[in-house]
Amino acid sequence: MTVAAPTWQADALEQLASLALPTKRDEAWRYSPHAKLSQLTFGPAAALDEVPSDVEAQIPVLDGPRLVLVNGVVDPGRTNLGALADGVVFCALSEAPPPAAARLQQTHESPDDAFSVINRAYGTEGALVQVSGQVDVLLHIVDVSVPGATHNASASRVVIDLAEGASATVVETRIGSGTGFGGSNVRTEITLGAEATLEHIILQDLPASQLHIGRVDVDQAASSTLRARLFNLGADYGRVAYHVHLVGEGARAELSGLYFGFGDQTLDQQITVVHEAKDCTSRQSYRGVLDDSSTGIWNGCVDVRPGADGTDSEQSNDNLLLSKTAEVNTMPRLEILADEVSCQHGATVGQLDDTALYYLRSRGIRKDEASRLLINGFADQVMDDLEHHGVRGWVTARLGHGHE
Amino acid sequence: MLHVDDLTVSIGGTPILKGLDLEVGPGEVHAIMGPNGSGKSTFAHALAGREGYDVEGTVTLDGADLLAMEPEDRAAAGVFMGFQYPVEIPGVNNMYFLRTALNSVRRSRGEDEISAREFLKVAQEAMDLVEMKQDFLNRSVNAGFSGGEKKRNEILQMAVMQPKLAVLDETDSGLDIDALRVVASGVNALRGPERSMIVITHYQRLLDYIKPDYVHVLVNGRIVESGDHTLALHLEEKGYADFLGEDAELTGASA
Ligand SMILES: Nc1ncnc2c1ncn2[C@@H]1O[C@H](COP(=O)(O)OP(=O)(O)OP(=O)(O)O)[C@@H](O)[C@H]1O
Ligand SMILES: [Mg+2]
Repeated sequence: MTVAAPTWQADALEQLASLALPTKRDEAWRYSPHAKLSQLTFGPAAALDEVPSDVEAQIPVLDGPRLVLVNGVVDPGRTNLGALADGVVFCALSEAPPPAAARLQQTHESPDDAFSVINRAYGTEGALVQVSGQVDVLLHIVDVSVPGATHNASASRVVIDLAEGASATVVETRIGSGTGFGGSNVRTEITLGAEATLEHIILQDLPASQLHIGRVDVDQAASSTLRARLFNLGADYGRVAYHVHLVGEGARAELSGLYFGFGDQTLDQQITVVHEAKDCTSRQSYRGVLDDSSTGIWNGCVDVRPGADGTDSEQSNDNLLLSKTAEVNTMPRLEILADEVSCQHGATVGQLDDTALYYLRSRGIRKDEASRLLINGFADQVMDDLEHHGVRGWVTARLGHGHE
Repeated sequence: MLHVDDLTVSIGGTPILKGLDLEVGPGEVHAIMGPNGSGKSTFAHALAGREGYDVEGTVTLDGADLLAMEPEDRAAAGVFMGFQYPVEIPGVNNMYFLRTALNSVRRSRGEDEISAREFLKVAQEAMDLVEMKQDFLNRSVNAGFSGGEKKRNEILQMAVMQPKLAVLDETDSGLDIDALRVVASGVNALRGPERSMIVITHYQRLLDYIKPDYVHVLVNGRIVESGDHTLALHLEEKGYADFLGEDAELTGASA
């Protein structure tokens, strides 16, 4: 089925000619590697003749249907949607059934930063999830970036709509192939109807030669619940920005994440939660572990708009620096324009606890293993309430061999 | 078994232990008492291998030079120190910690790792010994434990590790009456001809349960008096007044 290109896409294509990349002066891009970002090249999505052999083994094995995109195009060989329950649409954007196709003409906010414009222009293909009712299976979307000859970076779009009272779990895995320079740019748009519940997990594990730019926009109706978890682990520069709008009364957003950097990695999380209605709750709880010369960035903002009385929000960002050359920039921010709000925030930056290390060693545990226990203990707390064993197992295994 | 000869410890240039001598034979239980700040915990940490101490003198366990070893190697050699202030380690599962500890010392000694099933048995026996509920094993190490629960957890670890030399630093402090009995009977159950113990305490009451072979008084970094369990009774009655301010004269009075 062909869908007429939306006008915003045409607009974005037109904007490309005069596009200005973000600079240090843009708060949300302050610590990004601008020189490297400027070397990313994008273009219309094109299917590869052959998907490289290192891709398959990188895909986490999770139960449930999966849709694999390679360079912004569906890879039918690795996609397995199986039989889906009634009330569930899970398909490529290009395969969207007619009622959904109309939905795709709309977009959430149209941010005008260069990478969002690029995504609107070239992220023509992607994944669509529409759910009414309950889906028990986990829906897995895999985005693979294989730097190509004509352009080195890919763009794709993910759209997730949950109807009133619906619930679902969506995992987005973002990986890449090879050792060449390149990257991916993925935009996710989520709409939660009243009382809907979404568990949304991003596993970012691109190769160390690539850059990842992710953006997640969420609109939440009354009494809906979002649990968004980010495991920001791979890439030379790995970035995910969340923009969550609590539009309906009593909506709840729990955002959490772990970033774990080695080498020269820069891992960047930009979180904005906007309280627009009464009695909404938001939690931001992120942990970072930074080794070698890696850099962590956590910029978390709670924006309480006029009338959003009864807001309850908490932000926390805890960091563990494992080396003298690792660093973190943490910026919890609050803007409150309403009454009777409870907003707490805090950030910590620390090193491995010497006393704890000594305690473990006094029980016979070797120093390196004791350090590993403490580091994993710190990091694992992000997964305390993560029920999906497949995801948990993948993260644990990934961190276990993280120091290769 | 344990041989401590002229042990001195300074921290940041300040001398804390000033020439400590102690002989502990196999199966013996020695109590160390002394005023706050006299250096009891420092002595325990010097045996366990805490970093940041300037240590001189000789400490050997069955002939092996403890002072030359890393803390983990001392544990493998059979040293166990029950901390006065056990450390909270959020995120590290107590059961996993215990098993890692036990397997670490077994590996160091060239023994096979314990199987999961066998370990459960060992852990269960230890839990029964200190009357600890199962869910403590599933929680993070000491995280959110009450003072008394932390102390029980130390004895649980000792029961799992089966050390040659146990140094218990104020394991009785902060225990209620029932917990004191539980901890003391746990310690007694672990007494044996192959296991020596150094019990640091402020209270004669513990020594009613755990009858020591020797009692030493540590004042200002030196052992100023040694005797049998009646010395503890004397201290309980008279306090440390007899030993304060004259430790210079009493140097070398240790057994
Ligand atoms: N890290 C340190 N830096 C400086 N001084 C220290 C340090 N650790 C211990 N001390 C000092 O050494 C002395 C002995 O301390 P220690 O903890 O060994 O006493 P203690 O006999 O165990 O006392 P308590 O009965 O109160 O437990 C004290 O004066 C203490 O302040
Ligand atoms: Mg002490």
